[in-house]
Formats: sequence, structure tokens, C-alpha cells
Amino acid sequence: MTPAPLPEPSDQALVAAYRQGDQRAASELVRRHGPAVARFLYSSGALAADIEDLVQETLFRAFRGLERWRGEASFRSWLFTIAGNLARDAFRRRKGREVISLEDRDLPDRADPDAELAAGELEDRLRAELGRLPRLQREVFLLRAQEGTSYEEIARALGTTPGAARVHYHHAVKRLKELVG
Amino acid sequence: MSGCTRLSDRMPEVVHGRSRWTADEAAHLAACAECRRELALLQATVTLGRRTPRLGDAERMAATIERRLTGIRTRRIGVQRVAGLAAAATLLLAVWTKWPERPVANPAGPSRPAAPALVPLPELELLDPAELDSLLQRMEQPSVGGSTLDAPGLGDLEDTELEQVLATWEG
Repeated sequence: MTPAPLPEPSDQALVAAYRQGDQRAASELVRRHGPAVARFLYSSGALAADIEDLVQETLFRAFRGLERWRGEASFRSWLFTIAGNLARDAFRRRKGREVISLEDRDLPDRADPDAELAAGELEDRLRAELGRLPRLQREVFLLRAQEGTSYEEIARALGTTPGAARVHYHHAVKRLKELVG
Repeated sequence: MSGCTRLSDRMPEVVHGRSRWTADEAAHLAACAECRRELALLQATVTLGRRTPRLGDAERMAATIERRLTGIRTRRIGVQRVAGLAAAATLLLAVWTKWPERPVANPAGPSRPAAPALVPLPELELLDPAELDSLLQRMEQPSVGGSTLDAPGLGDLEDTELEQVLATWEG
């Protein structure tokens, strides 16, 4: 009989281990949350070439300010808050420049190039429109649509109420729905 | 809660594969173009997330972050040390500059101006070795009370000492 796999340590346990000097805990936190932060940043309009640096900066700031994370919101939501601030700063710095270009995406080979092109165009328009949404609408929408986060969790992460988060989400959906046929 | 609102609330769960539509929800979706558009939007958003450029090695990134944090900690310790030294230097300077003005219990009263030097310092080359030794010993002794104001004036000298000093001054 094979032993049952050990349960994965919680984020809180990993953070505690890291603060005790366990570097493997930091690696695990990066592995666990880095891709989601990257998705959030990319969907918010960050350039593909900047994603790695922005994710690293997000995690760096998080580790530097760990004492500010009380555990009320999930570690990931807290990272999204930091990433949201970074994305906004990055957007301000390059304001006026083209945000999204086709070269930013690596298009995988697909059987139907027309369908692929149409899907790529939709994603480009979606990213562009997401970048134009008010900040809270964009962050609530991405947390909800892309990560499946509950309104309660979103509210804790973004410092608002679940009801307000729901309203932001529906405003975003109403605006973004125009993009899809 | 309308069917559309209920479906909207459930969409993320279904899109992320954590739940499935019930028969009623599936029927609503089939009949409601707005809900289908919302579902298509969510699916496009999830697909967009999957197109995100892949990150490099997590351990390497964690190590880079740790190096940056170590650099900050080191700089912070350095700044604290420099600040501590600066504070100590400022304190010393303050004590040094204020010391002669320290109020002294003296019968002459507080309005008496500070004398530049109350111990007469004759030209050293004119002193014989015994006088020089005596003077040097007195200079090396800690000043009682720490102030030159406490040093004896000419009026405090014995007659023979006074004569000696006057003779030295006159050459």
C-alpha cells in the first residue's frame, strides 16, 4: 500500500517557513503564485517582454513587506494587489506607446489558421479594452473571470465590499461583452 | 435573483471546471443570447490567461529575489551604523562646544566672563627641568570640576610662586 501523499503546506505555513530562513519555501511560493500573477499582469495589458520582470518585482515587494500581510486576504490576492499597482505604474510610464502588438504573442500552430487569427484578434481587443477599464473594474473582473475568486475574497484583497465588487464585475462584463459576437 | 444573474454568478466556477451546469441552467443558456455572450467573454479571458508568456525557473527567480532582499538588508544595516556614528559624533560635538559654558557654582557669580586661560603658561624653554616636570604633571592631571574656571588664579598663588611667575613673565 502506497502512503497517501502529504498535504501541500498552506501559504501561511510557507510564509512562516520563509521567515524562518527556509529558501525552499520562497521557491514554492514563486512556483505556486508566479504564473497566476503573470496571467493577471498580461491580461491587464502588460507587455509580454515585461512580464518576467514585473512578476519578480511583485514577489520581491511581497517578500520585502511580508509583515504587512496579515492573512485576512489570500496570499495570491495580496500579490494581485501589488501587481495591480505595478501594472498601473508601468502603464503610466509607457503611456502613449502602443500597448499591444501581435509580436507580443506566441501563436501556437493550429489546424485552422483563420480561426486562430480571429481568436488572436479577439484577445488583442480584449487586452486593449481591459487596459482601458477603470482599475477596480479590471482587477475585480480578472480575479473573478480568470482565477474564479469569490466576491468575498476579492473584496478583502481590494479593500472593498462584496456588493461593490459584484457591481464592478457587472460593469466590466457589460462593457467587455460588446467585444464578443 | 433572475436567471441571468444566477447564471452569471455561477459562470466562473463552470468555466474553471469546478462545477457543471444544471439542466435548468443549461436550458437558460440555450435560450439567452446575453448569457451566451457573457460565457464567451469569460472563456476568451481564460484563454487569454493561458497565452501568458511562461515564466522562467521558480528557484532562480526566488534566488534573485533573495539576493535583492539581502542587498537591501545589508544597506539598511550600513545606513543604521552610519546614522548611529553620526548621532554619536553630533552628541560629542554638542558636549564639546557647550562644555565651557556649563554653569559653575563659583563665588564670582554667573556673569563673570570666561577667562581664556587662568593657569599662567610661562615660556617653556625658560623653565628649569623641575619646573617643567611640575607643569607637565599638572597639565596631565584631570581637571577637578572639568572647567578652567575652577583653576586657580594669580590671587590663589603663594607669594613665592607669584614671584616666580612674575619673574618668568619679565624675563
